[in-house]
Amino acid sequence: MVAVAQHPNIELVTYAEVVKVSGYIGNFNVTVKQKAKYVDWDLCTGCGTCWEKCPSKKIKDEFELGMGLRTSIHKVFPQAVPGKPIIEAETCTKLTKGKCGICEKVCPTNAIRYDDKEQLMDVEVGAIVMATGYDLFHWEETYGEYGYGKYPDVITSLHFERLVSSGGPTGGQIRRPSDGKVPDSVAFIKCVGSRDDTKGKSYCSRACCMYTAKHAYQVKDKLPDSESYVFYMDVRTAGKNYEEFYQRSLDAGAKYIRGRVSKIYPRGDKLVLKTEDTLMGMPLEVEVDMVVLATAMVPSEGAQELAKIIGFSTDKDGFFQEAHPKLQPVETFTAGVYVAGTCQGPKDIPDTVAQASAAAVKVCGLFSKERMATEPMITEVDISKCSGCGLCVPICPYHALSLVEIKERGHQGPFTRQVVEVNGSLCQGCGACLPACRTVALNLKGFTNEQLVAEVDALCL
Amino acid sequence: MKKRVGVFVCDCGTNIASVVDTEKVAEYARQLPGVVYSTTYKYMCSDPGQELVRNAIQEQGLEQVVIASCSPRMHEKTFRKAVEAGGINPYMFEMVNIREQDSWVHPDRGEATDKAMDLVRMGVSKVLKNVPLQVSTIPITKKAMVIGGGIAGMQAALDIAEAGHKVILVEREASIGGKMTQLDKTFPTMDCAA
Amino acid sequence: MSIDQEKAWNPKIIVFACNWCTYAAADLAGSNHLHYPADVRIIRTPCSGRMDPLLVLRAFNRGADGVLLSG
Repeated sequence: MVAVAQHPNIELVTYAEVVKVSGYIGNFNVTVKQKAKYVDWDLCTGCGTCWEKCPSKKIKDEFELGMGLRTSIHKVFPQAVPGKPIIEAETCTKLTKGKCGICEKVCPTNAIRYDDKEQLMDVEVGAIVMATGYDLFHWEETYGEYGYGKYPDVITSLHFERLVSSGGPTGGQIRRPSDGKVPDSVAFIKCVGSRDDTKGKSYCSRACCMYTAKHAYQVKDKLPDSESYVFYMDVRTAGKNYEEFYQRSLDAGAKYIRGRVSKIYPRGDKLVLKTEDTLMGMPLEVEVDMVVLATAMVPSEGAQELAKIIGFSTDKDGFFQEAHPKLQPVETFTAGVYVAGTCQGPKDIPDTVAQASAAAVKVCGLFSKERMATEPMITEVDISKCSGCGLCVPICPYHALSLVEIKERGHQGPFTRQVVEVNGSLCQGCGACLPACRTVALNLKGFTNEQLVAEVDALCL
Repeated sequence: MKKRVGVFVCDCGTNIASVVDTEKVAEYARQLPGVVYSTTYKYMCSDPGQELVRNAIQEQGLEQVVIASCSPRMHEKTFRKAVEAGGINPYMFEMVNIREQDSWVHPDRGEATDKAMDLVRMGVSKVLKNVPLQVSTIPITKKAMVIGGGIAGMQAALDIAEAGHKVILVEREASIGGKMTQLDKTFPTMDCAA
Repeated sequence: MSIDQEKAWNPKIIVFACNWCTYAAADLAGSNHLHYPADVRIIRTPCSGRMDPLLVLRAFNRGADGVLLSG
């Protein structure tokens, strides 16, 4: 992370979103919205006085998935890069009620800006790499049998990551969220939302088998006297050293039970899982202190809108569509736009890194040339026929047509008139403008009216 | 533009020739107006196949080329290059799809061969109306944008930056790192995520 | 026209197919070796938006029995 921030060739724009993209390969114009941070990061040193003194302290910390608290002026997490805070406008009493202003008073560099506004900036780039990542499937909305999210000790694997992390809300001790008790037994349920056509997604999320093996191992490692159960449909360990890692988890004592959990309900301060062991062919009831759900990966919120803004397609599940699954895995149907990581489909870290490097190579390949060739099969205008009516202009999906004034010489001397002009870089050669032209001034090179008529005539002999 | 069309019919091993009578198609093509040369070959896309096209252009003085083989979505670029290497404008070329849209979908030899001849006639008619097209070039802005600052975005940005190009990395949150920063150790090596 | 003659009649069907979807789909049908009647003749167009109604009329005028425009 720090390597990214310190690299002289990388300009980091955080707390910002892409709102508009125009142009084409080699020449994109991107509008980026910098959201209001209310802190001047050029002045801020990240000393931390502001968030220590901020009186709005009881805000659920999104980074800890609600299992910890933070202040209104805050860094996303302690090791944030850049290591500087923002004020969350909705929870800041100065911004909502006009009272407080403590952070401004304590800031040693006068970096607080309550009047900060969002800003738009235009950037010219030659290539775009999409790396918008994933979100977790909202299991609470569909999995009623697991309690619709109302049992505090039924959590997701990402919650569990925070619980075992030394930087997390429990300092790395596995404690259950409801009462902070160290669990005697933990159940892991795989494929929650994945491989479930009726309630979730039909695909396999690919990383869950392995991180669940890791979690089951971590339970046995940190709490040797506890039990860790894994309920699974299949164990998929297709990766270098993955099967060995799964075996390590089994050797540590994780109990793998093949069966879907049909219901979770509380009994006293415990949770009961109703399931079956399909290998033994018998129903089972297991009592545990905490349940961890390996939920499906779904496209990041807003990814679909972003795809629309940039103008490339998504697949049936909303992941970015690669141009070809085998031959063009990091390209999209929009030239100059590449995909990397889980925005293209669920994958684990090694695959993500490999794909990101592949996308980078494609960008470097493009940048290795000074100029690039364009497809010559584009629309051409016969200005002697063009009446300048402009009917074709709004039809072009690529905004390649525009009206221009030309000077001509007539019997009464020079005069000007309007004709349409084609931007050869923007025109994609679709020919949608042709049927709109009433004077047949437009033609599509490579698919001219004459060529298509010749084809029709030849076939209809 | 002189009308001197060469028609090349590909066997594609047995993919086309097992259903379509390619010899008959080539013979038929020779009688079409404008066609001065036609032939078949086992693999038109192979090096010797492309060489055949190049040599025929020069020896027969061809001005237009029609290749009846697989889908243009497969080998149009390949053949454009071959035609250009033969010394004529790469856009004085048309491709006729007698594999994906003929031999692979019509098991009847008679019907498939008839269709191939129809399609070749279509290709020849079109290519006679072709005009040379010129490729133009556009400049490239050598700066990349990476959208998203998680593992994928950071890796891509670093790789592009290391190669010496400017990168602008846009992240929605106030910090880069993405989901990775929330993870503890990662499999299978158990090294720390951050 | 007798019934026997009717059986022997083969329609002439002209398809205008968009290069990016229908033409690709016809290729896919080919890669999967899905059989269909051989009366169909496909003309590749860069996009169905390119289609001028006059081309459809031209096909009918020249004796096509059916025209399929797909994209």
